[in-house]
Amino acid sequence: MGAEVMGLRSQWDTGRLPDLIGLLARLILGIVLIWAGVSKVTHPAVSAQAVRAYQILPYDFADYVGYALPVLEILIGLLLVAGLLTRWSAAVGGLLMLAFIIGISWVWAHGYSLDCGCFGGGGTIAASQTQYPLEILRDVGLAACAGWLVARPSTSYSLDHRLFG
Amino acid sequence: MRPDASKKIAKATPKSGPNPVVVGAIIAVVVMLAVVVAIVIGNNSKSGPSATASGNPVPAGVVGGTGGGIFANATTAKSNAPTMDAYEDFQCPTCGELERTLGPQIRTLANAGQIKLVYHMMSFLDANLGNDSSTRAADAAACAADAGKFLQYHAAVFAGQPTQEGAGYTNAQLTQFAKTAGITGSALTTWQQCATSAQHAQYVTDVETASGKAGVTGTPTIKLNGTDITKTMTTPEALVATVKAATH
Repeated sequence: MGAEVMGLRSQWDTGRLPDLIGLLARLILGIVLIWAGVSKVTHPAVSAQAVRAYQILPYDFADYVGYALPVLEILIGLLLVAGLLTRWSAAVGGLLMLAFIIGISWVWAHGYSLDCGCFGGGGTIAASQTQYPLEILRDVGLAACAGWLVARPSTSYSLDHRLFG
Repeated sequence: MRPDASKKIAKATPKSGPNPVVVGAIIAVVVMLAVVVAIVIGNNSKSGPSATASGNPVPAGVVGGTGGGIFANATTAKSNAPTMDAYEDFQCPTCGELERTLGPQIRTLANAGQIKLVYHMMSFLDANLGNDSSTRAADAAACAADAGKFLQYHAAVFAGQPTQEGAGYTNAQLTQFAKTAGITGSALTTWQQCATSAQHAQYVTDVETASGKAGVTGTPTIKLNGTDITKTMTTPEALVATVKAATH
């Protein structure tokens, strides 16, 4: 292996630019998650109804997911913004995005007309008002942020660095 | 896997600060606890109003269990007529639209006994809109069913639906609908007591739950003999043809 490759590798492992990209990924994913959670957490009944509207999960289980999701989103979002347990928080955030992408695709494929309910609201809307491509694209972008952080959890200004070195 | 440099670094530098595994375990437990608490709180919030009101909690004409719909034309329906289950929310604008375009035809079919018309008045829009008008209107309609005037009351509410979704219904409006529906005299007094005490509040909650479990996630949903025909019944003529095809 030449020195050039070694140089790139150490740049990837310890470089300042990848750390800053990681910081950006953390903040984007974290802030969107917090925003999504806060907009739903005070209305658990709406959130449960929004999950039920996907018609994927059995009735009672859909309710539980609807109650749990906003709290989980807020906590994972806070961990990401703080940069604490970055790899694991990002992994959970990424799995959430994956689940959302699958859910929205399912609804789209079945021809239901839903508001994704990602930031509150949700439920059936007019077919012309659906925004499935945009919603999926957004979640793919966020999943990419999560993917970066799982692959390379070292970021600038993180509690991980401060606490664990 | 690429060669891991972090292990070498960890060996080279003295370990200081908290143990990541311990911190991780604590945070994981906190997150799980928070999720469980959220589920418990959410579950408690949906348990609905306590049954404090006097009188029969389930209104007249309910078919198919405590959370079933109100059989609105039991007196006229022919035995061979198909069952039309209508799931609506009094605050849903699309339901109001359906009522304007197809409501008269549905009532004609019901009065002629050509369908068994069963209404399931849902109330989930309350949570979306931040008021309690769907629940109160559904309860008031259930009280009208006790007076044998469900269909008339149902029509009166939709005729008086606010153009602005979420504006809701005042109690005075709900009372006016009862008068419009032809509930008078002592029947009106009984209706008023029923509505004021939210006598059928538990029933309204039960309908919401039962409808959700029946796979209804949006309103309006119209089923004919169990088949969803919401998207096909676009005109009164199409509706009549669909009903005819389902009659045997």
